[in-house]
Amino acid sequence: MTSIKEKVMSRVFLLSALSTVLALALICLFLFINGIPAMAKIGAFSFMLGKEWSPSDTPPLFGILPMIAGSLYVTAGAIIIGVPIGILTAVFLSKSCPKKLYKFIKPGMDLLAGIPSVVLGFFGMAVIVPVFGESILSASIVLGIMILPTVTGISESAIRAVPQNYYEGAVALGAGHYRAVFKVILPAANSGVLAAVILGVGRAIGETMAVIMIAGNQARMPVSLFKGVRTLTANIALEMGYAAELHREALIATALVLFVFILVINLGFAALKKRIK
Amino acid sequence: MNKTVCLLPVIAALAAVFYGCSSASLASFDRAKDISVVSREDGSGTRIAFIGIFGIEAKSADGGRKDMSTKEAIIKKDTGVLMAAIAGNKYSIGYISLGALNDTIKAVQIEGASASAANIKNGSYPAARPFYIATKADASRLANDFISFILSLDGQAVVAKYYVDVDGSALAYSGGKASGKIVVGGSSSVSPVMEKLKEAYIKINPGATIEIQQSDSSSGLKGTIDGNFDIGMASREFKDSEKEKLIATLIAVDGIAIIVHKDNPVSSLTKEQVNAIYTGRISKWSCIHQ
Amino acid sequence: MKLKNKFYERIMAMLCWSAALSSVLALLFIVGFILVKGLPHIKPSLFSAAYSSDNVSLMPALVSTIIMTFMSILLAVPLGMFAAIYLVEYAGRGTLRANKSVMLIRITAETLSGIPSIVYGLFGLLFFVSFLDWKFSMLAGAFTLAIMILPLIMRSSEEALLAVPDMYREGAFGLGAGKLRTVFRIVLPSAMPGILAGIILATGRIVGETAALVYTAGTVAQIPKNPMQSARTLSVHMYALSGEGLHVNEGYATAVVLLVMVIILNIASAKSAKKLAGGA
Repeated sequence: MTSIKEKVMSRVFLLSALSTVLALALICLFLFINGIPAMAKIGAFSFMLGKEWSPSDTPPLFGILPMIAGSLYVTAGAIIIGVPIGILTAVFLSKSCPKKLYKFIKPGMDLLAGIPSVVLGFFGMAVIVPVFGESILSASIVLGIMILPTVTGISESAIRAVPQNYYEGAVALGAGHYRAVFKVILPAANSGVLAAVILGVGRAIGETMAVIMIAGNQARMPVSLFKGVRTLTANIALEMGYAAELHREALIATALVLFVFILVINLGFAALKKRIK
Repeated sequence: MNKTVCLLPVIAALAAVFYGCSSASLASFDRAKDISVVSREDGSGTRIAFIGIFGIEAKSADGGRKDMSTKEAIIKKDTGVLMAAIAGNKYSIGYISLGALNDTIKAVQIEGASASAANIKNGSYPAARPFYIATKADASRLANDFISFILSLDGQAVVAKYYVDVDGSALAYSGGKASGKIVVGGSSSVSPVMEKLKEAYIKINPGATIEIQQSDSSSGLKGTIDGNFDIGMASREFKDSEKEKLIATLIAVDGIAIIVHKDNPVSSLTKEQVNAIYTGRISKWSCIHQ
Repeated sequence: MKLKNKFYERIMAMLCWSAALSSVLALLFIVGFILVKGLPHIKPSLFSAAYSSDNVSLMPALVSTIIMTFMSILLAVPLGMFAAIYLVEYAGRGTLRANKSVMLIRITAETLSGIPSIVYGLFGLLFFVSFLDWKFSMLAGAFTLAIMILPLIMRSSEEALLAVPDMYREGAFGLGAGKLRTVFRIVLPSAMPGILAGIILATGRIVGETAALVYTAGTVAQIPKNPMQSARTLSVHMYALSGEGLHVNEGYATAVVLLVMVIILNIASAKSAKKLAGGA
């Protein structure tokens, strides 16, 4: 009796674990089934490398290179702004923050991580856009703020995981506090810091609602830091409601491209992690 | 001590940034600035109506059609977001449904006529577009009753508060009092007035449930064809493929207002000037002669 | 040399302090901005039971948010918890084949957690809304969100289970308890605070989600009577208000309510994490 129950439940546990595999397979299946035909019709080459996106013209043009470039620019901007500040904040929190201050800053960073992206978009629209316009710069700043808590949180725990005697050794050899931290501890924590950056990239490249509100959404190649761009996510969310037939399929194909990007980033990260280990 | 010294320049820099921003926003309108063109996304009913009315498209002999809007135009997904963008940028220009106008932005005159329901009715304001609802031939009793309410004197009185009413049945609503549930879906330009119509109708016929799904004209019509919606909302003319499967009913006429920032001294544009701005031939406010 | 050292220390100290300061300033600025813009517009009428176009009450959205959270959690937690039990208690210590399946599950879970919410939304639209023909409904939204938070629940449950000392298990086995009994009576209860912290984190994600819901649960402002009806959560409500442009102030008020919810969730999460640290 008990052994049957044991057996049944162990199957249930296994099936539950396999549900993630099922979910991922379904997502792949539906994106590919709905996205590949459009790519075939448009031509994979002119879809990925086409510079013009004008879906309601006759004949329509579906080129997503501007959006790919837009996503890359905005993500790079977010990384340039969010990562250094995030890592330095993590160093501060783990190595130089007075305990009393830490009690306020740490929950503060958690709160920042929890602020919904629509709210950040509202904030960007009302505060940052009036200063920098609807531009790559504005989008980078808001996304930089968005990834800041992710980068800080994961980097902080990576830094804390480095054994204390590394630090003591460096100081004993005559290094100052910060030299020990930056030259010894931070390099020792590099795989954790890298994980933080990768997660930040994933979050920035996938963000939709906030970006739509502040990036300008022009479907042409990026021209300047102070001019707008359209990202892959924005392209989908802007036009999905309206789209029919080939246009709709082209948007699903856009999602497919985004999905493959994320897959590549994740796999690359997994491989990198292995090598570091 | 050490730390305080480090903090000072940071605080000073921040203060300078904030001060710089606030003093910049006090400056008056500079005509030498670039026009910041704001448009709606491809496929939006408002955009389709707008480029049609102002001729911002090129047609070729073989039936081709190209949207000539400048690629530099900032794209906004919704009427409200677009209005917020115009209100937040002194040098911007955009277009919205007449019913959405409010005092956060300023509507300019087109060809000397201001954007108002009266001017659309007498034909002097050139930018008008229809609001349609669509049903299939086998629509439910409740759907038909709701439509008869919309076209009645009572329904059109609701419409006239925001848009231009149409000559419906010109009779007061008598009331079939059908019960049940219908889903109305489609154009986000039509849905605000549909909300009002629904609320007025539910007051008379509390047995009915009406659900409004706000999206856009094309998906509203497609949803009605597919049976997801009982009534579709559209803010543009029907395509031939849609005409075959749906019955179109005109419920209101809307104007398209060209809007600018409240501090913008420009108060009147010609159709040609709007066309030039949106095709990118005019890029500075100084090129607009009053 | 010594001078150079001192200079380096100075510069680095300044960099760290100013980075932390700008992080904090960004937070204060955002929170302050929301409060200043939103607090004056919090009125009792915003919490009336029915939504109308004149009084854009956020009550239906608030109720829908709670229902949506419960539905998604109900779907995802048993799956995620059982999956973690499989990974920690059943696999991993066994054969090569088991290790391979564990790796597959780990990689898929990691991939799932990296997928952007708009892609989830599109998938939900294609699969739940169209293919299974659930239309725009709470159910379609909840299933989409459940898949989205599944890796998070799994991960936190796994960590919580791993944190339970092997002594507990050995003790239970020693007293003659079966594996299943050990898991449910001994291991799970002591891992509960950690699992709870994961659930709270997932709740935060659900509350803040917009892109995945617009295409699956729709945008109707009503309290849903059954799971097949469409409804909007608070974040979607805020997004819709910004789209209409007629009720921007109410949008900010909604942001304040969202912020309060996030703060409450954060405090709850910190509490349960503390309990875990204290218990283990």
